[in-house]
Amino acid sequence: MKRTAICFLLLLLTFCGFTQGVAVTGTVRSAEGTPLAGVTILDKSTGKGTNTDLAGKFTIQVATNATLEFSFIGYTKQEIALNGRRELTVQLALSEGTALDEVVVTTALGIKKQQKTLGYAVQEVSGETMAKTKTPTPLAALTGKVAGLNINNTTDLFRNPGISLRGRTPLIVIDGIPDPDADPYKINADDIESISVLKGPAAGALYGALGVNGAIMYTTKKGRKGKLQVEVNSSTMFQTSYTVVPEVQTVYGNGDQGRYAYSNGSGGGAEGGGWIWGPKLDQRDPSTPSGFYETTQYDSPIDPVTGQRIPTPWISKGKNNIKNFFRTGILSTNSVSASVGTEKGSFRVSANHMYQQGVVPNTGLNNSSFSIGGNYQLAPKLSMDAKLTYNREYSDNYPVVGYGPPNYLYNLILWIGPDIDIRDLENYWMPGREGLQQRNYNLSWYNNPHFIANELLNGYKRNNSFGQATFDYKISKDLSVKFRNGFNQYSSIADVREPYSYIAYSYISRGNYSSDQSNYFDINSDLILNYKKDFGENFGINVTAGAANAYRRFESVYTSTDGLTIPEFYSITNTINPLKGSNLLRERRTGSVYGMIDAEALGFLYLNLTGRYDKTSTLPIENNGYFYPSVGLSAVLSDKLELPEAISFLKLRGSWAKVNTGFISGNNPYAHINTYQIGPKWNNVPSLIMPTSYISPNLVPETVESSEFGAVIGLFKNRINLDVTYFSNLDYNNFQPVTLSQASGNSSVVKNANIFQRRGWEFMLSGYPVRGKNFKWETSFNFSKVHRWLKDATDNGDGYLGQIKEGQRMDRIYITESRTPDGQAIYNANGMQAYTPFGQYFGDRDPDWIYGWQNTFTYKNLSLTFSVDGRLGGLIYSTTNQKMWWGGTAKGTVTPFRDDANAGNSTYVGPGVVVTSGNVEYDSYGNILSDSRKFAPNTTPVNYISFMQSTSGAMLNNYFYYSGTYLKMRELVLTYELPSKWVKGAFSGASVSFIGNNLFILSKIPNVDPDAERDELQTPSMRSIGVNFNVRF
Amino acid sequence: MNKTIFFATIFGLLILGSCKKFDYFQDNPNNPTMADPSLLLPAIERTAFSTISADAALASRYLVYTQGASNSQYYGWQRGSMGYGNITQVVKMEQEAARTNKPNYRYIGKFFKSYFVVNMTQTFGDIPYSQMMQSIMYGNYSDSSAIRPVYDKQEDIYRGVLDDLKIASDSLSSTSVAIGGDLVYNGNIEKWKRLINSYTLRVLMSLSKKENVASLNIKQRFNEIVSNPAKYPLMTANSDNGRLPYYDITGNQYPYFNNNSMKTDYYLDVSFVSILQELQDPRLFVFGKPTPSSGGPATDFDAYDGLSGSAPLAENTAKRGAGNASQINDRYAYTATNEPSLLMGYAELQFILSEAVVRGWITGDASEYYKKGIKASLDFSNYNNTYSSDLIDAYLASAEVALVPGQEIEQIITQKYISMFMNTGWQPFYEQRRTGFPEFDVSGAGILNGGQIPKRWMYPNDEFTNNRVNVENAIKSQYPGGDDINGIMWILQ
Repeated sequence: MKRTAICFLLLLLTFCGFTQGVAVTGTVRSAEGTPLAGVTILDKSTGKGTNTDLAGKFTIQVATNATLEFSFIGYTKQEIALNGRRELTVQLALSEGTALDEVVVTTALGIKKQQKTLGYAVQEVSGETMAKTKTPTPLAALTGKVAGLNINNTTDLFRNPGISLRGRTPLIVIDGIPDPDADPYKINADDIESISVLKGPAAGALYGALGVNGAIMYTTKKGRKGKLQVEVNSSTMFQTSYTVVPEVQTVYGNGDQGRYAYSNGSGGGAEGGGWIWGPKLDQRDPSTPSGFYETTQYDSPIDPVTGQRIPTPWISKGKNNIKNFFRTGILSTNSVSASVGTEKGSFRVSANHMYQQGVVPNTGLNNSSFSIGGNYQLAPKLSMDAKLTYNREYSDNYPVVGYGPPNYLYNLILWIGPDIDIRDLENYWMPGREGLQQRNYNLSWYNNPHFIANELLNGYKRNNSFGQATFDYKISKDLSVKFRNGFNQYSSIADVREPYSYIAYSYISRGNYSSDQSNYFDINSDLILNYKKDFGENFGINVTAGAANAYRRFESVYTSTDGLTIPEFYSITNTINPLKGSNLLRERRTGSVYGMIDAEALGFLYLNLTGRYDKTSTLPIENNGYFYPSVGLSAVLSDKLELPEAISFLKLRGSWAKVNTGFISGNNPYAHINTYQIGPKWNNVPSLIMPTSYISPNLVPETVESSEFGAVIGLFKNRINLDVTYFSNLDYNNFQPVTLSQASGNSSVVKNANIFQRRGWEFMLSGYPVRGKNFKWETSFNFSKVHRWLKDATDNGDGYLGQIKEGQRMDRIYITESRTPDGQAIYNANGMQAYTPFGQYFGDRDPDWIYGWQNTFTYKNLSLTFSVDGRLGGLIYSTTNQKMWWGGTAKGTVTPFRDDANAGNSTYVGPGVVVTSGNVEYDSYGNILSDSRKFAPNTTPVNYISFMQSTSGAMLNNYFYYSGTYLKMRELVLTYELPSKWVKGAFSGASVSFIGNNLFILSKIPNVDPDAERDELQTPSMRSIGVNFNVRF
Repeated sequence: MNKTIFFATIFGLLILGSCKKFDYFQDNPNNPTMADPSLLLPAIERTAFSTISADAALASRYLVYTQGASNSQYYGWQRGSMGYGNITQVVKMEQEAARTNKPNYRYIGKFFKSYFVVNMTQTFGDIPYSQMMQSIMYGNYSDSSAIRPVYDKQEDIYRGVLDDLKIASDSLSSTSVAIGGDLVYNGNIEKWKRLINSYTLRVLMSLSKKENVASLNIKQRFNEIVSNPAKYPLMTANSDNGRLPYYDITGNQYPYFNNNSMKTDYYLDVSFVSILQELQDPRLFVFGKPTPSSGGPATDFDAYDGLSGSAPLAENTAKRGAGNASQINDRYAYTATNEPSLLMGYAELQFILSEAVVRGWITGDASEYYKKGIKASLDFSNYNNTYSSDLIDAYLASAEVALVPGQEIEQIITQKYISMFMNTGWQPFYEQRRTGFPEFDVSGAGILNGGQIPKRWMYPNDEFTNNRVNVENAIKSQYPGGDDINGIMWILQ
């Protein structure tokens, strides 16, 4: 043993001595003569390599007769034999197109692989794309750029964008470490080197159950070998104008049935119940002092003698309420990073600050990140790589969303008439009752929007830290072992300050303070063994085996006052009634072993096999272990076959995977255990409630079986590339609440049931239509679709899940408003909308297609990038529009019928029919069995206002389901790279860019931005315009 | 090399070995799996005793809604919902009672089960009864008979309920382990018996059209209770009321406290105002408030006016806008505790006894019971002592109130109707459905359902999905016209 070790040592020394060689130096430039930084230089015989520094210079120790390979993305690879030379000047030529042969992507576990060897779809987006124009989260910057990935951006401040990859929420991975908590705000966009999207279960299989829906993998920037590099990147954007803003009518004011007179703000009597169906504004009336119609209003003066309010003119003071309320939003990000490295190791530090000033007064968000990372060759065979990031998100107040009184939009867009000038409400306390009673035109239904913005404070502070440490040991030339630990941690406080007199439904606050404190920690440990061997030209193999353990812990404590003894004193101790509180502890663990084999044969066939076995704490012990395999095959036909000259690259791929998941609920690790729930207290007597949903003790893991096929074609020396993918996922053994007759004592049983199928297509077309010496045009167009069907309703003998029948799509929309077979509204004898006892099919929710188009034009030092994306088809329900029609603020309600109603006349006849005879019979699933109805046009005149209050005019507006089709100008960047002679000496590079986001939209839905794919009242969609400076030292 | 592998292995083992075993995670630290029955009782009581319903008030012509066309008010009814989830809680309480050997909870459980079942059968007609709760009781999630229980005939349901109520009253014992968590009677078993027996009389009276059905034996059952007060005690005063009080704690307040709609959109129905005006009934002053246009004092009967529950919405909003309608009294929206919610009150018991005398079920003085009921109701509703005891006495003595031979039932039910304003759930509607009193106005142009007062609700959608064959059979055997809101259920035939 000892002798072997000495021999080995001697051998090592000899080897080292042998490779001592000579120092070769040189410079790498482009054909135009500019130095190229970051070019990879590889000694072909030893595999040793280096990179050029910012001046394009390099030094490498090699044998005198070595052959060096120079490669750089976008340039043609070049090999140069030294033949004794010690100094080299190398010029790299631009490659004709993307070298599809050489694209390397990051795959599961952070392993880099050549894309051509993969049997599944992976798309990589460079961090460059988010360097200039800034979005609140890096995730938002992916919008429209990845086929199959649908990002739904909300217009609201500090709200997570929705992500759906092939119809499901993918796993987020940072530097190889899963981030199940997936806070999109914690990653600094300027730290991102690239984002790799693993689209299907086959790609994600190595992440186990977590990766069942694919993964979005962030690879962050690392320190580079070479001298110190410092980069400063600064973007500031202003939200000065609207892309979409609700347009409200400015003709009629507060009130009901054309009447309004303020008495005490309760909304009762002549105050009209809080409706905006009041009298017409700006009406001449010679009998009044002002010459206009007058009535009592909330700001009318009080007659000191009678104590009664004196009527004031009823005029449209508030025509621009919406614009007068908002202010200019700001999104400013500043970052600095430094990187330095030697042969032994390198490191990078960065700091970043993002400030967002909300368009709503007194709202904003700060987000700061610091990170340090590096790698070091600890011993000849042992290297380490580690990174730690600290991030803090903090907001003293950000707006509440959704339809309801805490949302300023509810009070601003829907329930304020143009008789009120929002600027008159800036003094939001009732004089003499400051801190106790808000001042508003209505004191039982609505809050003063300024009061909400300045007094109902919704704060959030969160400290994130995350990182990883990896040790890599090369046991031999072919065998290496890696030990990696990664963690994610956060602690957060969400607190709400609720002022006296704040109004919610059935509730007027006596003041409240609540605090929700959470702590989260997860750790993932992996021990990975890798064996790599080439057996001659035609066969190679790469085997990885690993074991992993993942642990997660979440705990939180919520405490709230019940009323405040001292107004405006926001302390838990200041409660009137006993404190309310709850706490939560959630722990889970998964233990795994996994393996992967990549084999290469005949120079064009690539096989990927993976297998993983998980044991999870989130299932009953008896069924908590499960295995899942995947296989992928890739054939680069263009490497083997003689193809027509136009076809420069052709690859076919296919993969199959079966992935299980044992997570019944994403959040609750105890979802497999039947327990009581803590009920509310009554007069401080505690209670328990048994949920009526029963959880079967025999649950087995849920399974996704996925097949995927794809082809990549490169045409005309890869100037045009097309990537097509078709996939079909069978979801079975789903954890589903299967409904029972509630008379059984349980309304549902959670068990493995029902089979769904998700199928879809993804297309990517990219290339360089123009690639001249000075002018380049790079373009990339993608579009994709995915739908989900019910394949088998396993627990319903008739083949139904709810009203959906086997073979039908799962996103069907049903409405209960009664309609004729050809879609006309049916009315009751009283002239109002009739309803059906079963919902009837109306349309589909999901988009038919989503698409995105990116373009970069480069002319000398000038480049122009723009990105357009959108969706086609699918229906989106709009709460904003429905409530505007209902409440009386919609522009469409300005009709002569409204004047008639104000005059007390019923003149409006709803468009549609009435049933004159016959009836309709349904089966138990709402299908029409027989229909003998005869229809005649509806002729019953009704009061227009009553009609709208009862029906919202839904039949006039497609029942508020609008086509989701839209096209959005997502971003535009015009960059000027300062000529090197200008910055020489001071900087190594500098650029200035003019940037714009969310510039315009063409869409079919009025008043709201369909980007979020849903509308429950949204902040107006704002146009952002700004500038970016980037300086590199 | 070996050293490194050694260390790496140690490292790995440390990481894996330091983990908690998988067994450890099989206990949910946030929620219990076992409990004392006293922890289950409060939620059951809260559900059963929360009977305040504005929808019931709209359907019963007490109130008119002005924010939109209310289907409850205009009788555009569709489906009802079942409440078996409440019985699930009762079954869990019974199971925990058996486990901890506290039998009193099981008998109280029998009362609640009967109460929830009666509410459902009043809503729909036939419902699952004899085979209900098999899954939760026996863990049976596979047999069709358990997960899709058959529907029982109303006659059989009532027989079962009456038997269960008798067992509950017979078996409750003040000497066995006391009950805790009791929000209603604070563990007083005697008061529970009074409520259960009084409630049994309500159930029997609701079957007045079936007084000759031998299997139910209604009159005899009624007599058995009334004639044996030692064994079957009845409520003796308002202090025995089966009621849930409200508290000024968030979530424990009167259900319409600070409710926007209750502040602005609920007005008295003109027919209800007329009844109170004709009787010169001072409860008008605590139910409503004077019209804005009258400017009159709250104690002036002429200062009140109502809207019409059957008139089109615009007609009502116009009258409201002109200030000619009485809103519901401020106490319903502006006070946190207002009045307790009644499952059943002493006043109702007196009206039942009075009616039983009139029907010849029992002997006694109908008028005495009747006046005791009225007095109890006036006392219960006398919010902030709005009216004096002299006024109460004067009212009781007035000629308009006195029972008139031949009209007793109408008068008793009308007084019962007044006493149930915004309380006791749908009971006033069911009394009207049974007796036709008072007459509900359907003459206005806003009315739906062809101008008829609905008799029931359609079965809920989920039964068609989850128990299709049984619900379809139940419809076929009861309602020739299909699952229709005008179908006449067995107890009304």
